[in-house]
Amino acid sequence: MTFFLSSLGILAVSGFLILFLGRYRELCARIFTTALIAVSGLVFLSALPFFGTANRADFRIPCPPPFNELSLGLDPLSAFFLLTIACVSLASGVFGCGYLNGQNTKKNPNVHYSFYLFLMVSLFVVVTAKNVFLFLTAWELMTFFAYFLLTFYDEKKSVREAGGLYLIATHCGTFCLMVMFILMGYAAGSMDFDRMALTHYSPLMTGVFFALGLIGFGVKAGFFPLHIWLPYAHPAAPSHISGLFSGIMIKTGIYGLLRIIFILKDIPEWCGPAMLGIGAVSGVLGVLYALGQHEIKRLLAYHSIENIGIIVLGIGMGLLGSAYHQKSIALAGYGGALLHVLNHAIFKCLLFLSAGSVIRSTGTGEIDEMGGLLKYLPFTGHFFLIGSLAICGLPLLNGFVSEWLVYRSFFEGILHLNKWGITLAVTSLVSLALIGGLAAACFAKAFSVIFLGHNRSPRQEAYKENPWMMTCPMAFLAALCVWIGLFPKTLVGFSLTNAQFITALELAPGETGAILQPILSANKVLFLFLVVLGFLTLYRNFLLRRHPRGLSETWSCGYSWPSPRMQYSAASFADPILRLFKSVVHFEVHPARAGHYFPVRLDLFSKVVDVPDRFIFRPIYVILRKFSKWMLKFQSGHIPQYLFYIFIALVALLLWKFPWRA
Amino acid sequence: MVEVFPVILRFAVCVLFSPFILGVIGKTKAFFAGKQGPPLLQLYYDISKLIQKGSVYSRTTTWIFRAAPLVSWAAVLIASLLIPLGGLKAPLQFAGDVILFAYLLALARFFTILAAMDTGSSFEGMGASREAAFSCLSEAALFLNFATLVVLSKSISLSRMITECSWDSWVRLGPSFILIIVSYFIILLVENARIPIDDPATHLELTMIHEVMVLDHSGPDFAFILYAGAIKLFVLGGVLVTFLIPFQSRNVVLNTVILCAAMTGLALAIGVVESAMARLRLNRVPSFIIGSFVLALFGLIIALSRA
Repeated sequence: MTFFLSSLGILAVSGFLILFLGRYRELCARIFTTALIAVSGLVFLSALPFFGTANRADFRIPCPPPFNELSLGLDPLSAFFLLTIACVSLASGVFGCGYLNGQNTKKNPNVHYSFYLFLMVSLFVVVTAKNVFLFLTAWELMTFFAYFLLTFYDEKKSVREAGGLYLIATHCGTFCLMVMFILMGYAAGSMDFDRMALTHYSPLMTGVFFALGLIGFGVKAGFFPLHIWLPYAHPAAPSHISGLFSGIMIKTGIYGLLRIIFILKDIPEWCGPAMLGIGAVSGVLGVLYALGQHEIKRLLAYHSIENIGIIVLGIGMGLLGSAYHQKSIALAGYGGALLHVLNHAIFKCLLFLSAGSVIRSTGTGEIDEMGGLLKYLPFTGHFFLIGSLAICGLPLLNGFVSEWLVYRSFFEGILHLNKWGITLAVTSLVSLALIGGLAAACFAKAFSVIFLGHNRSPRQEAYKENPWMMTCPMAFLAALCVWIGLFPKTLVGFSLTNAQFITALELAPGETGAILQPILSANKVLFLFLVVLGFLTLYRNFLLRRHPRGLSETWSCGYSWPSPRMQYSAASFADPILRLFKSVVHFEVHPARAGHYFPVRLDLFSKVVDVPDRFIFRPIYVILRKFSKWMLKFQSGHIPQYLFYIFIALVALLLWKFPWRA
Repeated sequence: MVEVFPVILRFAVCVLFSPFILGVIGKTKAFFAGKQGPPLLQLYYDISKLIQKGSVYSRTTTWIFRAAPLVSWAAVLIASLLIPLGGLKAPLQFAGDVILFAYLLALARFFTILAAMDTGSSFEGMGASREAAFSCLSEAALFLNFATLVVLSKSISLSRMITECSWDSWVRLGPSFILIIVSYFIILLVENARIPIDDPATHLELTMIHEVMVLDHSGPDFAFILYAGAIKLFVLGGVLVTFLIPFQSRNVVLNTVILCAAMTGLALAIGVVESAMARLRLNRVPSFIIGSFVLALFGLIIALSRA
């Protein structure tokens, strides 16, 4: 606990220090990075005791109302999220330093740094708060600091709009949370999480709490169809902030849900299927929308929705397992969901950082203007490849481990549940398989269009790899991906401990092992794969040693002047899949009519329309706007009008209170 | 711990026997066409010839182009360790190995797609895009098949899922078995790019999928691609064959012989299908795969209602 408190102290102090030392840029950047490194180390130390066992540590200070008590507490769930936050914010912070340092000299990044540190404080408090008031205060502060980080490029109109949308969306969510917490506090007679956890709620109330929590935290986490702020916010923010948003901010929604599940304990039976439904819909539609995007950060933003879907599928199976008292399902489900929280944070942050590096080098985010960048940006390219492999859940990297656990929970569900449960598990299984296939297609598209083939842009000069301040954080995250992928024992164990903690299951000795052991066996197979691959490479080199290395142009079936423009673009790559799923996604193609006798320039334009955004929230917005315009008649700003209102009010009061009878 | 002998035996069977299967398919097709056809061992000749040649690489390509054939070869070979082949038990079995099996195939496919895109050729891009589209569907159908097998066998390890279905359960669950066999057979054709989905005999139709992705590979790299294709057919076919032959002996040699005979039978069946059918129009292919998905779904429903 001391480690954790001192890390909070360091963050706050250095945040203010940077604010006051604003003029000394170099010094501030140094303070910023030092603070980040120190804090991650301290957080790691404070999370360490929770790896094996479910102990806990509390810290309480009496405080004037409404807080009554400032209570922070560490338990396995908090420790897990603290660790995630520390990893990601370290990498994206250092990257941000490199990113902002060279970029524009006019804008002073120091305020940005200090908001970054304050955001970290609020994130830390969110995941450790043990009291409703403290939690909500930190939650709101987090939203605010994140808003300021997001609107770094506030000179652009689109950025300001995205920031506004983000604020509105998350506040709608917070409204639901407030209602939920007030009702819960009222029912429990206390605003303390621990006492809330001891209270027994009626099933109806539990259902209401859960539904409110689902909306409130769902907006933050980006559940479909509450995700609308995500695809705007990510491209608007600087890349490292997008990484932070996607890696951590949306995960606080998941943390909140898990905390609610932990507090409520007996979740009604309908919640599991509801979560599975949300997960499947978010996952499949998220990845389909992502396939239709050709702006790299928007694409990644939709992938966050997909991965949240996978996490929610895991939680849904966990709920189902708890409801049916099947320990193996609950363990694998929650364990998979939690590990995927960490894994997604790592590889998504990695992808956003490498996307930032690409944008920095090329000056654009449109992937159809890129191509062949692996030769110019070897570090960025390979880190992006590692991230892509991980996000597709392919073996050897961390995504595979957590997706494996989620898959495992489905298979356990098919084994142990009744027919209704099997139907749910099979549906989720098929949707996860579909998500996996589509994600692979999407990242095959993204990686190959950006990094492989010829360059599509008309630009002549070569691209430059970015400085080490930007590549090192990526290397750190990529190393984590590989480490968890190849040696998953520690973290799988940690997430299973956590799953046990959330569900409060009494486990027999072998039960965690039964989930963990197959993963280790699978890893043995993967090591064998690496050995075979190694030998094969040697053999191939042996075969080719005598032959001169033939180099030529790509064979284009007899055509002698292929140009980069002839390559498959991102839009054409995604087209068959989007046509296949035309009934689910709103896919618009605007072809040009080719009715001319002579060659003319023709354009074809296709895009995927975000249905909830366009057909649900925009109409609501339009109605709200009309209503506000109408309301303007009464709020015109003319003083005589307000005087008139006062006069009417006075007359009304007079008439009401006038002693008629007397 | 893993025993070494079964692993080596498995590798040997896959590596030595798999090209023969394609020879049998070729011969069957030639027979139906009234031709003599290439010799049964044609793929062995092709591979040994290609191995002796040098490779030519496009200047556009990166190491991914070179690595992809090796990755696919190694991935399908390792995937073969997870399945029982006839009487030969799987050298490695654990709960949920079925996920690893599917994802090893996905890894191979991912790298093949990247390699195709690496050349910067629009032909290969076309093939890559189609492969990505169809494999999403076939992967979902494959997992649905596995789910049905889990329901039928009450186990989540591939070995038991496949071998547990005994003959007496055929009486009760026969319809379910038949449905998933047909469904799986379709997936087998899709995954191995056979007619009616794809024509392995031609390269340059604009309607091709798999063959067009490997246009630029040459020499040993191309040998590994052909070889990986043969092993993949062998592995996926082995699952089907093992499901169908319930007979096992204690003798390893006898088991191997039975397996090879059964695989030859499967190759004949594929050859007959290829001779009797024309390739589907490209926009009909998804319906075909979805058909396999639906069959598996009915299989699951029957299994649930009778199990």
